[in-house]
Amino acid sequence: MIEIERLTKRYGATTVVDDVSLRVEDGAIAVVVGTSGAGKSTLLRMINRLVEPSAGRVLIDGEDTMAIPEDQLRHRIGYVIQGYGLFPHRTVAENIATVPRLLGWDKRRIAARVEELLDLFQLDPAEFAGKFPHELSGGQQQRVGVARALAAKPALLLMDEPFGALDPVIRSKAQVDLLAIQRRLGTTIVLVTHDMNEAFQLGDKIAVMDQARLLQYDTPAQLLTHPAEAFVEQLVGTAERPFRLLSLLHVQAALEAGDAEGEPIRITDSLRDALSRLIWVGREALPVVDASGALVGRVSVQGILAHGRSAA
Amino acid sequence: MSRRSFILRAAALFLLVLFIAAPQLFAFAFKPLTINDAPAIYNQGSLLALTLSHLRIVFLATLASTVLAVGLGIFVTRPSGSEFLPLSRSLVNIGQTFPPIAVLAIAVPLVGFGEKPTFIALFLYGLLPIFENTLTGLMEVSPQTLEAAKGMGMNPRQRLLQVELPLAFPVILAGIRLSVIISLGTATIGSTVAAKGLGEVIIAGLQSNNVAFVLQGGLVVALLAVLIHDGLGLAERMAARRLGRPLDEIS
Repeated sequence: MIEIERLTKRYGATTVVDDVSLRVEDGAIAVVVGTSGAGKSTLLRMINRLVEPSAGRVLIDGEDTMAIPEDQLRHRIGYVIQGYGLFPHRTVAENIATVPRLLGWDKRRIAARVEELLDLFQLDPAEFAGKFPHELSGGQQQRVGVARALAAKPALLLMDEPFGALDPVIRSKAQVDLLAIQRRLGTTIVLVTHDMNEAFQLGDKIAVMDQARLLQYDTPAQLLTHPAEAFVEQLVGTAERPFRLLSLLHVQAALEAGDAEGEPIRITDSLRDALSRLIWVGREALPVVDASGALVGRVSVQGILAHGRSAA
Repeated sequence: MSRRSFILRAAALFLLVLFIAAPQLFAFAFKPLTINDAPAIYNQGSLLALTLSHLRIVFLATLASTVLAVGLGIFVTRPSGSEFLPLSRSLVNIGQTFPPIAVLAIAVPLVGFGEKPTFIALFLYGLLPIFENTLTGLMEVSPQTLEAAKGMGMNPRQRLLQVELPLAFPVILAGIRLSVIISLGTATIGSTVAAKGLGEVIIAGLQSNNVAFVLQGGLVVALLAVLIHDGLGLAERMAARRLGRPLDEIS
């Protein structure tokens, strides 16, 4: 668990991060969003002490990060930046092995770990281990960047605009992949982005920052239905709000008894996907099946719309 | 390197070695250049021994320049040494502005005749290219790469040895190559203060008005310079290719 307590950073007279407190539970993804210059990156970089706080503290599992020598602290925290910063003079395998080598793991253990990670990130070890970063595509570099950050099995991963350099198609695939890997490994992630869609897709909780202050730290649904300030509402996007809300819910939530004509929808799909299917095929309702393909009920346009309304 | 230029260089190397080892074989070619039946081939010492001592002093001076220039370059690019950057730049520049012959004139009264004053002149003259290239190489390392290295918990020493120096290496090597080439030519004037080297052949030719000698000394130095230049250039390209940089970026 990460506890950020009253963290502040000042450069001279300017305050870049102003009295921010938040807590990230184990295995959760916290996304920090805000406009550029809001202090998101500085907040992130204070967690692994690339920036020294002016006031306040960060606790990792109850341990004050200031009590840990900074290099040791960083060995324990994965770090991915925009553009990844892969070492151009080292192969993919050597890049991934960076932190294990700093920690003095023996060669066999490092080799096994590198292979495991390459497999996890769908990079064939035989093909990619010996390649240099400049021989990789953007998406492959991104995966190597994340694999490198996870090499020493950190419990916490910090990501600063990790998808910023990818084109939209590869970006959404990379987000889905990251989510799958995160759910599998149970890594706690703090991710900084300025992309609201990314925040809603990845965040268990979203922290909205503006002008050095933390405006709201809440679940995506709470952020949509109960925005704390006008700025949050604006950032969330008033026109997008109902659709965002629907994309957070699964068909399960709007499941009705009965049957309907047409090609079935999976119960695990989001309500947003279900609605768009209903609109596209021009029906009032469609049958719903569970993971095994068995019919469990139906979902209707009216039922879905009810979930996209403001709670008030 | 194309096949043709490789053959050309191999031929040049072969000719050079053959000439140094058995210069008399080439007497026929130099004979027309002599007058009054003067000897066609340098006969006051072994060309091989002169070439070796010429290379030796160039090697030692460049080695010393490299150690100081690279060390200084590293120091002034650290946070603790950054304030010395302008000072060390001007010092190294002064080393370059002093003509080697002037350095010899000053050094001889202080350290005597022989190899020492030549060594000092070559050492000072060779500092600038290596120092400037070390600076460029270290400053060119992408801030992202350094940020990642720092974020993964590399300490300053590990960052220098494992990231910055390997990435700057091709550029530093280019500086060393430049310095070696300058020194190879400049070392000939060391013979005016009794350093053993190929300058002896040239000076002997000038004194006895024997063009054949001058040409022999000059040719050996020139061939050495071309071959060493190409050899180091090849090493640079290999190092740079590993980094995925286009070949023309360093030259």
